Amino acid sequence: MSMTNEIYSQLLKEKMYFDQLDNGLKVYTMPMEGYTKQYAIFATNYGSIDSKFKIMGEEKIIEVPDGIAHFLEHKLFEERDGSIFDKFSELGSNVNAYTNFNSTCYLFTSTDRFLENLELLVKFVQSPYFTDENVEKEKGIITQEINMYKDNPQWKVFFNALRAMYHNHPVKIDIAGTVDSISRITKEDLYTCYDNFYSPHNMTLFIAGDIDHAEALKVIKMSMNERPSNAKIIQRVYPEETNSIVQDTIEEHLDVSIPLFNIAYKDILNNSTEDKLLNRDISTKILLDMLFGKSSELYSSLYEEGLINDTFEHEFTGELGYGYSMMGGESKDPLLIRDRIHKHIELLKKVGLSKEDFERIKRKQIGEHLGYYNSVEFIATTFIAYHFKGIQLFDYIKAIKKIQFSDIEKRFLEHFCNSQSILSIISPK
Amino acid sequence: MLDRILPINIGNGVTLHLINTKKFKTSLVSVYLQRPLTQEEVTKNALISMILPRGTKRLETSKDIAKYLENLYGTSIGSNVSKKGERNIINFRMQVINEIYIDEKHILEKGIRTLNEFINDPLIEQGHFKTEYLNQERANLTEKIEGRKNDKMKYAYERCIEEMCKNEAFSLYEYGNVKDLKEISDITLFMHYENLLKSSPVDICVVGDISNIDIQKMIDRNMKFKINKPIAVEREKLFNKSEKVKNVAEEMDISQGKLVIGYRTNIPFESELYEPLIVYSNILGGGPNSKLFKNLREKESLCYYIFSRIEKFKSLMLISSGIEFDNFDKTVDLVGMQIKDMNNGNISSEEIESAKNAIITAIRSMTDSPGMLADFYYTQIISNNQDNMEEIINKIRKVNKETIVEAGKNIKIDTIYFLRDKKEDN
Repeated sequence: MSMTNEIYSQLLKEKMYFDQLDNGLKVYTMPMEGYTKQYAIFATNYGSIDSKFKIMGEEKIIEVPDGIAHFLEHKLFEERDGSIFDKFSELGSNVNAYTNFNSTCYLFTSTDRFLENLELLVKFVQSPYFTDENVEKEKGIITQEINMYKDNPQWKVFFNALRAMYHNHPVKIDIAGTVDSISRITKEDLYTCYDNFYSPHNMTLFIAGDIDHAEALKVIKMSMNERPSNAKIIQRVYPEETNSIVQDTIEEHLDVSIPLFNIAYKDILNNSTEDKLLNRDISTKILLDMLFGKSSELYSSLYEEGLINDTFEHEFTGELGYGYSMMGGESKDPLLIRDRIHKHIELLKKVGLSKEDFERIKRKQIGEHLGYYNSVEFIATTFIAYHFKGIQLFDYIKAIKKIQFSDIEKRFLEHFCNSQSILSIISPK
Repeated sequence: MLDRILPINIGNGVTLHLINTKKFKTSLVSVYLQRPLTQEEVTKNALISMILPRGTKRLETSKDIAKYLENLYGTSIGSNVSKKGERNIINFRMQVINEIYIDEKHILEKGIRTLNEFINDPLIEQGHFKTEYLNQERANLTEKIEGRKNDKMKYAYERCIEEMCKNEAFSLYEYGNVKDLKEISDITLFMHYENLLKSSPVDICVVGDISNIDIQKMIDRNMKFKINKPIAVEREKLFNKSEKVKNVAEEMDISQGKLVIGYRTNIPFESELYEPLIVYSNILGGGPNSKLFKNLREKESLCYYIFSRIEKFKSLMLISSGIEFDNFDKTVDLVGMQIKDMNNGNISSEEIESAKNAIITAIRSMTDSPGMLADFYYTQIISNNQDNMEEIINKIRKVNKETIVEAGKNIKIDTIYFLRDKKEDN
């Protein structure tokens, strides 16, 4: 029997409830008083990078075509008696899904009849219905999706950057796969992936909204399949990836008005524990703001010289098996920007970082993080992303407050090696 | 449900609208300056919205501003321009964390004070904006205008409107054009800015946990507007001129074609047929259970995305999709068939219910975002619409099949725009 746990955050003045069902499914709800919207997300810890795996205790490595997690996401909306969209539409709610590198998430937003929506969500994700015919039909649609991304310079500049960094890791492969790889997907492949990755103990359900945890839990339990939980443990197989980059510059031409660029620093992997992962995440984000944010020396000089404009942004991605800092935007001269960034980093290694900058950026990020809690969508999607790497979202704000200047200094020296950096450019034709 | 707040005239042509709520962790103050959308002003307005955040009398550089705001727990101040119908709106918004979460006193007041400096107290040198800032922002705006084609989906959508509404103000791009931008001088820009401050109707929408009296006092202490002759921005004119369908094809080096079909709905937003029109568009192309999605995507595998949208103020409907170049004729035909089918009354009661529920959900959902709430009320204000959210929802509920079909009969196709690949010369 499960016992409901309450998790409270004094800093956020928010709480959430947690239960784990007997079949292994984890259920979280965060009551958002006064909110009109309810948001539920049913997620599996299975993304685009998981196309090679084996069942624990078995020798055989199963390999499926690239893009299959995303394909599966599309196909799960199909039911024996039509499309699930109609049923959600009748209730006036929006159902959607997304696949990223590490997870596949099914979600809805509603403002009415929440429990009926919840039941639909839980049931449809547990009811795969794949036929040769409906698998074939989907290939045309996904081909159009892939083609749409081919014309998207932001998407291209980003994936090219990943390809310049990673020799073997599947993070360098497009989430949707390629027109060629998806053409090889069969209904049998889909069932193989479904059976292995959509078992309750690999999944989490998160709900945010002005709703009652116990009632939601009751509906979820009632809507769970009778089928025995697949207790087989799946081992994901990732190729060996060294710390070195593939190539320092990658360029492609598209019909754009001005070059787009991404500069990325590939992270050095050191078997991070989950606790360290959160510290790494926050310290790198603070560091990026200190180095490249709007108040930084580098940003203002590049901006004033007309080398960057307000599209310039930066982000850090830190997962268990890969990580990178990335910054980019539009520029007349991406090569010069790289040069300036490299020199700036070398200089900072000599003169050191500013403690005053650190304190200020820390305040900024505390405020920003608090502000994100205005958004039901943010809470739900971010909760899931951190949850699958073993981090509880409420711990984030505590960890920012705890971070020390010395953490940042250490992280700076470890992460920002110019020899680990790449430049990806999309130039006009 | 949050109710419509009574507007408060706080003097000098400024109207305050307060949405008092405890549910957010932030307070938002959004200031809207209303202008007519004209060729003469549009480029200057865009440039003004970019130059004002560059420096104020107290905080002279972007870096000073950034540092100050970072210290205020990441308070954000932003500006942008948009077109709502044929009105050109300059918007400044400031969002700040509520004091109960942090150890900083009077943070809202500090934010409002800084917001005021952005609008009313910029850095001035030799009687105009700093020349250096003007040159930098001129270059940035040029890049932005030229960069419009980088987002093909959006580009095609806007180009369709441009072709369709040629010679109408609505065809103007909200960031203006490069030719006019080149001709703007230090002096003309600053004169325009002074004119804006004197003559723009200003509305301030506040969303947050603050009382009516407190926010009025705070604004009174910190915001100094100098409006003396507010202009009356006219309602946009509607044209019914689609005698012949206009076909426009444009070539670009791309992988996927972007089709946008523009219609004149001939239904002004004040009409009783406006709500039926909204439902009509939703049934046709509102979401994954719409007719277009089901027939063109799910049945024919022609596309990944296809949607229909109403341009409220100009009474337009636009359908947008990404398709293979060779499927152009087929897609246009199938879209036409779906519309004909609807106008013949082939609409089920389930479709009507679903569409209404989806629209109501979308309206209600706006109450969960401070920015969307502020924009919602502002749109009501400039539409001169007194309805609160429940009243709008009731109007949607009353829509029935007869009124939907009636609305459909007013819709006339005007322009078919296709962004396609470059044809080989041979």
